[in-house]
Amino acid sequence: MKSILLATASAALLGMATMAQADTTIELQRFFGACEADYGTVTDVSKAVGECGIITSLVNKFEAENPDIKVNVTTVEWPGYNQLNAQLASNAAPDVVSVHYSAISDYSTRGLFMPLDDLFASAGIDPADFSDAARGGATKDGKMYALPFDNWTMLFHVNLNLMKEAGLVNADGTPILPTSVDEFFEQGKQFKEKTGKPYLVQIYANETAAYMRIFYTLMMQQDYDFFKDPSKIDLSGPEAKKALEFMKKIHDEGLSTLDMDYSAAVSGFSSGEGGIEVNGTWLIGDLDAQSKEEGNALSGGYTVYPVPQFYPAKNATYVDGHGWAVPRGDRDEDKMAAIGKLFKFLEDNDYEWARTGHLPSVKAVFDMPEFKALPHRDKIVEIAKIGQTLPEGVMRQFALQDIVGEELAAAINGNKSVDDALARIEERVNDLLGNL
Amino acid sequence: MAESYRRSRWSNALFILPYMTVFLSLLVFPLFWGMWLSLNKSDLFGGARFIGLKNYYRVFSDPVFGQAVWNTVIFVLVSVPTLVALGLFLSLALNKTTRASSLLRGLFFSSTVLSVTIVTLIWRFVFIPGDGLLALLFDKMGWEQIGFLSTEGWSLFSVGVATVWWCLGLPMMLFLAALQQIPSDLYEAAALDNASRWRVLTRITLPSIKSTIVLVAIVQIVMQFQLFGQAQLMTNGGPAGSSRPIVLYIFDTSFIRWDVGMGTAASEVLFLIILLAAMVQYWVTSRKGEA
Repeated sequence: MKSILLATASAALLGMATMAQADTTIELQRFFGACEADYGTVTDVSKAVGECGIITSLVNKFEAENPDIKVNVTTVEWPGYNQLNAQLASNAAPDVVSVHYSAISDYSTRGLFMPLDDLFASAGIDPADFSDAARGGATKDGKMYALPFDNWTMLFHVNLNLMKEAGLVNADGTPILPTSVDEFFEQGKQFKEKTGKPYLVQIYANETAAYMRIFYTLMMQQDYDFFKDPSKIDLSGPEAKKALEFMKKIHDEGLSTLDMDYSAAVSGFSSGEGGIEVNGTWLIGDLDAQSKEEGNALSGGYTVYPVPQFYPAKNATYVDGHGWAVPRGDRDEDKMAAIGKLFKFLEDNDYEWARTGHLPSVKAVFDMPEFKALPHRDKIVEIAKIGQTLPEGVMRQFALQDIVGEELAAAINGNKSVDDALARIEERVNDLLGNL
Repeated sequence: MAESYRRSRWSNALFILPYMTVFLSLLVFPLFWGMWLSLNKSDLFGGARFIGLKNYYRVFSDPVFGQAVWNTVIFVLVSVPTLVALGLFLSLALNKTTRASSLLRGLFFSSTVLSVTIVTLIWRFVFIPGDGLLALLFDKMGWEQIGFLSTEGWSLFSVGVATVWWCLGLPMMLFLAALQQIPSDLYEAAALDNASRWRVLTRITLPSIKSTIVLVAIVQIVMQFQLFGQAQLMTNGGPAGSSRPIVLYIFDTSFIRWDVGMGTAASEVLFLIILLAAMVQYWVTSRKGEA
């Protein structure tokens, strides 16, 4: 009897000890999708592919290495700011949340995100470790409000098999891409004539972000400062009109797929419905993996490049990035220390995240042989130099994206004239920014 | 009666306390708080500043709001008669006691139990260009594909089709319940008089369920004015705002732009529209009572 009692007591103590091991819980909220079925128990990050797989296995690995810390992950639909706003308004925000650099100002100016400089110092994270683009994106008013995780941008994902068919491949196997607006239309027409398919696969339906990113890029390439005053957009210059007319002409000349929403565009390119997909860095890992499989439209024929420089004024492309922020809230020292540990772990494993296709936020990763050996990275690293964000004082960038994208789409699809659309963007954006 | 009055105590009110608590805290308080917020410059995180009717001025001078009201009115004008007519047609066709009609009733009602996410996902498979059901059908017939979700006019139509499919079950069931209340001797008398089917429909069936037709129409008007999920998930209000309903405008203004004051001002306008519809219902039913 005594031995049974002792055994029971020991088992209970052991159980309590195990429970006590995970004594700090971090509530982490993120987008990047859900893939528990495939990666729920994977701790070998090198085996993971794609944004969701890599971040899920990174968190698993962190938990395995830190048994005293549990990370409760909540996955939200991209971009997740509606949920975050509701949580912040009801003082129920998570401990760590995924953010875009372009959204940080909205929260930092209202004191809704914590400045992280002290946390970084205590966790051994040196801000100088990050690339200028990443650190700049996460820094507002001289303070860092997020752990920089990457930089991303829109790219030209190229189906080399179709480009070969169109006669748009150099002798060395690289694609012939346009270096000016005129060349774009020449090559686009040639592609269409030879393959019978549209040159570009673009996201035209139920979407505003893609329109906006390309429009900003085209204006940046003309060195046009449309947010000279961050509280006002200025599209009165001929550069804005030129950019939108270019986008509209692509539609009018039938050089793009039409009516596709995001997922239709992704699957459309994968099944060979067009030559070049205009989409983000995050697709590189998945598309490259597809090209290594047999019997599909991209088999042995995928490559990727930054959006070409169409205008001579400046080699530029609109970039944004992902980071990890800590919303306001009362947290004890242990929890803050656990968050610091998690951030240090994510910084140390930035190479793994860079396998998604995003550009690393940590400078040292650019020089790692493993990173250099990743497919296509040599072609896109220049984005770290040519990437350009909106000025940090521009607020509500996600709301602006909807307005700008909606009006651009109206002009491109012929529902409005180019002049009307640009005028309406100015009116709507300036009304929004003037009434914050 | 007098006895029961004498025995009534204030403590009896405790029986309604749970309901009153929920009613007051979740309905009455937010209603008045919303009215107050609409007179303030405010975002989601406090800092309200009284600005009088400026939010209403901004809402009414915003062409995007005008477009949203127009879209919603058009949507209600088309979807509600469709729901009433189709619901009535189905209930008449299925007002039988056969096994097949029971099965079909269940089948037609089944869409109603689905969440808006599933409904829009299903209809996305139908409307999406390229691999969508209609796109494949159009290809097969040799017709040019239509961008149902990205073409002005078609986008609101597509949202309407999904909505009718989703909401059809309730009108059908209400009509069926009403049809089964009609005394069978009326039909027997009509049969003895050798009345035609059309005459039976227009002289017996429809007059007998008139109040249900009005009820279904009013309920659907109130429901369809609150169109949101389908439009947000299928078209996100596009293209060019041509399928943006009022609630999506309120959502965008309050939660994407953080302009809660202006969003609540737009909500109050929607509240007035729905209140007007409810008053029409009251007016129609009380007139019938007088007659």
